[in-house]
Amino acid sequence: MKSNLEVENLIVEKDKEVGKEMAKLGNKIEIRDLSMYYDSFKVLENITMSIPCRSIVALIGPSGCGKSSLLRCINRMNDLIPNSKVEGEILLDGENIYNPSCEVIELRRRVGMVFQKPNPFPKSVYDNVSFGPQVMGIDNKKEMDEIVEASLKKAALWDEVKDKLRTSALSLSGGQQQRLCIARALAVQPEVILFDEPCSALDPVATQKIEDLLIELKENYTIVIVTHNMQQAARISDITAFLLMEVQGEPGRLIEYSDTNKIFTNPSDYRTERYITGRFG
Amino acid sequence: MKATRVDRIATFFFWILGMISVGILFIIVGEIFARGLFIALKPSFFLGKPEAMKEGGGILPMIVSSIYLAVLTLLISLPLSLGAAIYLAEYSRGGKITRFIRFCADSLSSLPSIVFGLFGLAIFVVRLGWGYCLISGAFTLALLNLPTLMRSAEESLKSVPKTYREASLSLGASRWTTVRQVVVPSSLPGIITGTVLSIGRIMGESAALIFTTGTFIRKIPLNPFQTAAPLAVNIWYTQSEALVPDYRNIVNGGAAFLLLMVLVVNLVARYIGKFYRRRKGLS
Ligand SMILES: Nc1ncnc2c1ncn2[C@@H]1O[C@H](COP(=O)(O)OP(=O)(O)OP(=O)(O)O)[C@@H](O)[C@H]1O
Ligand SMILES: [Mg+2]
Repeated sequence: MKSNLEVENLIVEKDKEVGKEMAKLGNKIEIRDLSMYYDSFKVLENITMSIPCRSIVALIGPSGCGKSSLLRCINRMNDLIPNSKVEGEILLDGENIYNPSCEVIELRRRVGMVFQKPNPFPKSVYDNVSFGPQVMGIDNKKEMDEIVEASLKKAALWDEVKDKLRTSALSLSGGQQQRLCIARALAVQPEVILFDEPCSALDPVATQKIEDLLIELKENYTIVIVTHNMQQAARISDITAFLLMEVQGEPGRLIEYSDTNKIFTNPSDYRTERYITGRFG
Repeated sequence: MKATRVDRIATFFFWILGMISVGILFIIVGEIFARGLFIALKPSFFLGKPEAMKEGGGILPMIVSSIYLAVLTLLISLPLSLGAAIYLAEYSRGGKITRFIRFCADSLSSLPSIVFGLFGLAIFVVRLGWGYCLISGAFTLALLNLPTLMRSAEESLKSVPKTYREASLSLGASRWTTVRQVVVPSSLPGIITGTVLSIGRIMGESAALIFTTGTFIRKIPLNPFQTAAPLAVNIWYTQSEALVPDYRNIVNGGAAFLLLMVLVVNLVARYIGKFYRRRKGLS
């Protein structure tokens, strides 16, 4: 199993076309014919895409086309919105997460999320990171210390906060807060992490740090990221999905889904090209 | 030019209106303190035993009654109102039941307190046979208190940013864990402030208690089923019925002491709110 994944990774890095073919065997997430509604308003229609293990998939598209809605389908955060409805299926390791038998709590542990605006709890740095594991029932102090330290290290924040683990998370800078949120998500050891425009509230230096971090995290996690920043999508993602709501009031559709290289150098759809070259949205 | 002038006149006008309300508050507080503060602060008064016929009585049992009553009332109404507020703010989806609960709470809070007093008399004092006592009064006041307490708790819960809930749920916390560990702690300053402010209202309430706790006692009540006489009720009683020759002094001193207690409680409420906010790094 493990060697299989390693091989898969190598190939994804070496040759993306072949990698994609291979990856189909080991897709972490498969979205099939997904449509989504808020009340009677259809936001997304017939979205189908496969997200390979240990890759970064970027969702791009103009504002309001349903990127966040799609992202939030993957960990069922849309359940919180009354009257939202989903049709079709999303398979996580082959299991449909919209099956009645799916445990939403378990699902959200496996599929973490980092939001647009850094949203640390008004608690200490330590308590923010330990929140998830503690909810999962870890109460051994030493074990918890290790998890907190490891998570903060993975999020490249440890050196900056190791002396102020007990101070309020709200006293950190925006970029630090966002990395803290990433550490908090990592602490429950998810398999997939969803990012909804994680850098939109950050300056270029903080953005750079997060991007480096994402590329590092790819080694172990499957990442889906919504971004408005074309360069960012081009820099960090392996696959790019272009969503578009062609007419206001109509649902958003998946226009193109292919290798990031291809999307940015030789898109097959004229609408993708127009969007990327900045002619609308 | 003209706009600036209008602006200035408006500012001045509203400043005057603001000052008038401040002035009225100062006049009332000043008047009551001028009449009674020197009596209220005499230890023989606030630590003394009441007299039925003679002059020179104190008000200690009444003070104890008021505090005891406030504690009992909160013990009853806080869990209920917090539970209801959590339901309304966190679980209900704004359907018929929610609207019905709100409607009942709003109606309840617009009833005159004497009506609560009569209800308490009929149910707790007579029907349940508890008689005039602290517990009858506490249940009556809990009913009176419930809607306001519930509403203020609901508002505090709702003021917790949605992003905290999302963060918690996205980490695999259940709804209930999220409420317990994230939402309630974050809204604690607001809930505490609302609760402490309601202590002030409990201490100042008289009409609802005339028929439920009793109006005059000489011994400090220890058992909640004992007859009591909260300070506010006792002031009314002393002024209108008491036989002691120095009833005016007792009323003035009692009123000043009551005002002092309520002021202290309100200051504590403000301080707690600020303290919490600072500790959480919220401001
Ligand atoms: N809770 C909601 N209730 C009703 N409609 C909603 C809700 N959330 C989003 N929408 C609508 O769904 C559509 C897609 O919204 P969504 O937030 O997914 O877009 P987005 O692509 O993430 O946009 P942006 O880039 O601005 O974040 C929009 O038209 C929006 O108005
Ligand atoms: Mg969005």
